[in-house]
Amino acid sequence: MPTAHDAIVVGSGACGGWAAMELTQAGLKVLMLEAGARVDPATDFHHTFLYQMDYRGRGRPGLLRRYSGSERNYRIMLDNLENPYTTSPETTYSWGRSRCLGGRTLHWARATDRMADYEFKAASRDGYGMDWAVSYADLAPYYDRIESFIGVSGERLGLPQFPDGPFLPPMALNCAETIFTAACQSLGWSSTHRRLAQLTRVHNGRPPCHYCGNCVNGCEVGAMFNPIAVTLPPALKTGNLEIRTDSVVARVRMNRENRAQGVTYIERHTMRSVDVDARYVILAASTLENTRLLLLSEKGGLANSSGTLGQYMMDQVSGGGVSGILPRLKGGPSRLDDGKSAGITIPNFQNIDRKTERKDFIRGYVMNATGGQTEYPQFAAAFPGYGSAWKREIKSRYVAQARVWIAGGEMLARKENFVELDPEVKDHWGIPVLKIHFTHSANDHKLIADFQQRAEELFRRAGGEVMAGSPDARAPGQTTRPLGGSIHEVGTARMSVSPKDGVLNSFGQTHDIPNLYVFGGNAFPSTGDKHPTLTMMALSARGCDHLLETAKGRKV
Amino acid sequence: MALRAAALPGGAAFFATWLRTDNGPPHPGPIAPPEPPLLRDYQPAFFDRSDFDALQAFTEILIPTDESPGAREAHCAHYIDFVLQASTEAAPDTVRHWREAMAALRQAGFHAADAASRAALVEAMSRQERDPGATHPGYAAYRLIKQHTTFAFYTSRAGMIDALDYRGNSYNASFPACDHPEHRTI
Repeated sequence: MPTAHDAIVVGSGACGGWAAMELTQAGLKVLMLEAGARVDPATDFHHTFLYQMDYRGRGRPGLLRRYSGSERNYRIMLDNLENPYTTSPETTYSWGRSRCLGGRTLHWARATDRMADYEFKAASRDGYGMDWAVSYADLAPYYDRIESFIGVSGERLGLPQFPDGPFLPPMALNCAETIFTAACQSLGWSSTHRRLAQLTRVHNGRPPCHYCGNCVNGCEVGAMFNPIAVTLPPALKTGNLEIRTDSVVARVRMNRENRAQGVTYIERHTMRSVDVDARYVILAASTLENTRLLLLSEKGGLANSSGTLGQYMMDQVSGGGVSGILPRLKGGPSRLDDGKSAGITIPNFQNIDRKTERKDFIRGYVMNATGGQTEYPQFAAAFPGYGSAWKREIKSRYVAQARVWIAGGEMLARKENFVELDPEVKDHWGIPVLKIHFTHSANDHKLIADFQQRAEELFRRAGGEVMAGSPDARAPGQTTRPLGGSIHEVGTARMSVSPKDGVLNSFGQTHDIPNLYVFGGNAFPSTGDKHPTLTMMALSARGCDHLLETAKGRKV
Repeated sequence: MALRAAALPGGAAFFATWLRTDNGPPHPGPIAPPEPPLLRDYQPAFFDRSDFDALQAFTEILIPTDESPGAREAHCAHYIDFVLQASTEAAPDTVRHWREAMAALRQAGFHAADAASRAALVEAMSRQERDPGATHPGYAAYRLIKQHTTFAFYTSRAGMIDALDYRGNSYNASFPACDHPEHRTI
């Protein structure tokens, strides 16, 4: 029986949005299902000072136990009571999620970095894990296409480990970032403006950033990339896209010919179950939600002939960092230092080739640094003293704040980090939830310890003074225990050349079911040290090309 | 594009600033909106009058009014009371800590003391911050009041805008680049 839709796209974030745009522009009729609510930036996003909110950003006491985020942005996060998950006793992992049209890109950090071959082929170099089934050459045209369309501000560096793109002009550096740049030069480290999917000039009909620093609360003018400002409008313009929000997908349904027939979703508010069919099903509901859906769709997991579904969960490792002040900036005038919500990036310079190989750990990390005025002086309450002298000192230090943090630290892929369905706990709609098993390896700890040393080295070279009460204030050499993640969860349905080794091929197509694709971080065999969103999108764009080719050839 | 964005909340202000900066006088600086009236005529609902008056006096010693506004103009004691009256069910531990802190303050004689004695008492209670060897039974109360007063002050318009001159959360035509050649060297 003919179906009304050529493709169902589950999820409306970075990958789902791109897929909807590319497929509808190619003429396919697409149904997008989003579990969360519709979001309209013109009415939902606006500048709000803390003092304009009754509870100054913290929400009415108790509210934010239910929601992630702050009083400003909890509506674009997720209701934790409706959407629980469980963890094994040794797991401390915190799964950061969103459910709304546009997903996490409504409040993301916008860091848009290309991965490089030293990451894709790391296993061949150091013998650990599995190489990616794609190389930089395979992804470069897709990186180009995406960056050109969404707009990425940055500076071309010419470093092989930090590949360049067709950048818009970079954002200017503030005083602290200028000092940190000089410190990097003094140490012989490369550094550059943080590369951001945030416009510095009019681009494809979108206005440039107005430097309010409000990115994590949603951009009301569409100057930063997210699907509701960038990919969904052209998709809707084709007339080929239907979006159904508040639609919680419960499973993929199969037909007798081992093809995905469609999906079943539950209307979020009415609890009514609805079946929809299509020629293709694309899961783009975020990495772990995609895997949850595969686990929910068949006993033992759909598309799991390899037995690897759910395994090798990773999230770039975090912990440590340095913060305090740059005394050179003390007492200076107030400036718009946090208006771009950015910083400088120090690309990884270790374990990228034989010459830079470390004996004590494998893989690497990227650092960030920034400083200056912030909305709230977080150090103030812990700063000793009170009275007028204390007030003057707070103001003097307020403009001199400085911070070095880890942008992305590679976490090793290990089989024992996995997700499964919890046998007992269900969500608000009666759907079994995920149980996460997640710990860090000795290598992860060594990598973070090395980062901590380098971060302190940079901070010292810049003349920094660690200050009690600052976000990352701690004794020299000390790192966070347990280590944390970066809301960069990947893996659990990795790509492989052979169907025996993974769930997906290099196009995001499941090895087992030709008309079922999975877009997101699932395919990553390793984390690399770059922010993952751009690579997730590049894999999605490549997957869409593949899907369109198969559709033309009627192979499915 | 300009028309579309100008229709958004704040969009008109952004484009007015943008156009003025490109063609006219220098950027005038962000203009922060006024504070809502919530605390202006607020009557304490958590503390009794005696505790509230003591708390207000304490906050004004911590963050006095001088060349810039202080805890009084920021209504810090009012804000603390406002949050606590909403915390009874959701944050019972916080409420208990505050009851204990005010009892400790009363025990230390703060409520009945004159201005000079109150100043001396706060100095004694706070000494452990500067001298880890020092102890005082009111130190925990001092830290609790300071922590909440600091938050109440620097998230108020008086603290954030008038005292610290926060520039963000505004519409700007460009990001101000560092213009200090001396910052380019270590």
